[in-house]
Amino acid sequence: MDCTAEVVGDTTHTIDVADGDTYGDLLTAVGLSTHEATVLVDDTPVPEDQPIETDHVRILRLIKGG
Amino acid sequence: MDCDKCGASAVMHAAYSGLHLCERHFLRSVEKRVKRRIREDALIDNRTTPDDPETWVIGLSGGKDSVVLTDLLYDTFAEDPRIELVALTIHEGIEGYRDASVDACVELTDGMELRHEVVSYASEFDLEMDSVAESDPENMAPCAYCGVFRRDILSRYAEQYGADKLLTGHNLDDEAQTALMNVLEGDVKQIAKHFDASLGPFPDRPSGSNNEPFVPRAKPLRDIPEKEVALYAHLKDLPVHMAECPHASEAYRGEIQELLLGLESKHPGTRHSIMAGYEEIAHVVAEQYDTDEQPDLQDCERCGSPTTGDICRKCQLVESIHTA
Repeated sequence: MDCTAEVVGDTTHTIDVADGDTYGDLLTAVGLSTHEATVLVDDTPVPEDQPIETDHVRILRLIKGG
Repeated sequence: MDCDKCGASAVMHAAYSGLHLCERHFLRSVEKRVKRRIREDALIDNRTTPDDPETWVIGLSGGKDSVVLTDLLYDTFAEDPRIELVALTIHEGIEGYRDASVDACVELTDGMELRHEVVSYASEFDLEMDSVAESDPENMAPCAYCGVFRRDILSRYAEQYGADKLLTGHNLDDEAQTALMNVLEGDVKQIAKHFDASLGPFPDRPSGSNNEPFVPRAKPLRDIPEKEVALYAHLKDLPVHMAECPHASEAYRGEIQELLLGLESKHPGTRHSIMAGYEEIAHVVAEQYDTDEQPDLQDCERCGSPTTGDICRKCQLVESIHTA
């Protein structure tokens, strides 16, 4: 399945995700760490160890660096 | 994933504790940890009464850490007659950066019954950081000048407002980075100073005996990981200025930050365990240095601030910049 990940204020990526991949894997795929960003599904943060269940997310950078 | 406390949808996972928390329980968890830190540090002197309240000055920059700290302290103590809060914002004169963050501070405090003061380097020292970074008469990083000026203003104004404590928004990542840097640099004296200046519970610090000329400091957010501070600000929709200072140049701290977060990913809890061990070590070495000879402090000939020489570092730097 493809999932589009829009990094808020930055680029949008299309990621090929496999069954069991988590939102944390999505962060890694766009080059961010789970310590610096959170994934928003319908504008609500989701835990990084949760399996991906949607085809569109927004990614919010919370801290610089990391 | 469901919240481990109530079964609602979780908004975060804390790998170091294994907990998944929903918005309500995450916010509550941050608030509980901050209140516990305030208790453990004995921030409120047990002699404090409504008739003889304490004044706490909060260093409010407009960044996520100080905004969350101000919001939390206001929620907790606004109605407490024993505590008077004052927010102090410093404008360093950095084009396109500080104006926006001062706006965030004003937006935050507008809805609060809170004294909020804004002080600038321009009015205090007749200089702005943009031009200091450009002329750089001492051949130092901009942060080295800025840190001296900021500490001077925070201490002086804290004293002027009759502050009993100066509170800053340092989070767990900030403190673990500083701890690791002090250890890697082999700077044992700095570890002792770190304990006395801001880590130790108040009864264990030399300043607890009122012998210190400086307003004692505390960091109530120092148990909260940086990402959780930011998530708290996001979930509570607090006005936060996210940009990085254009003059930021702490390259070594950036390296340490990367190292620590790499360790944290592989071994969740590393930041907490570093701080637990470091605080114990810092306590021991602080006692050791406490018995050693302390430097004699006298008043700076120009501004009266406590200093080991005739003229304090801030006055030396201001002179150097103005004669450049």
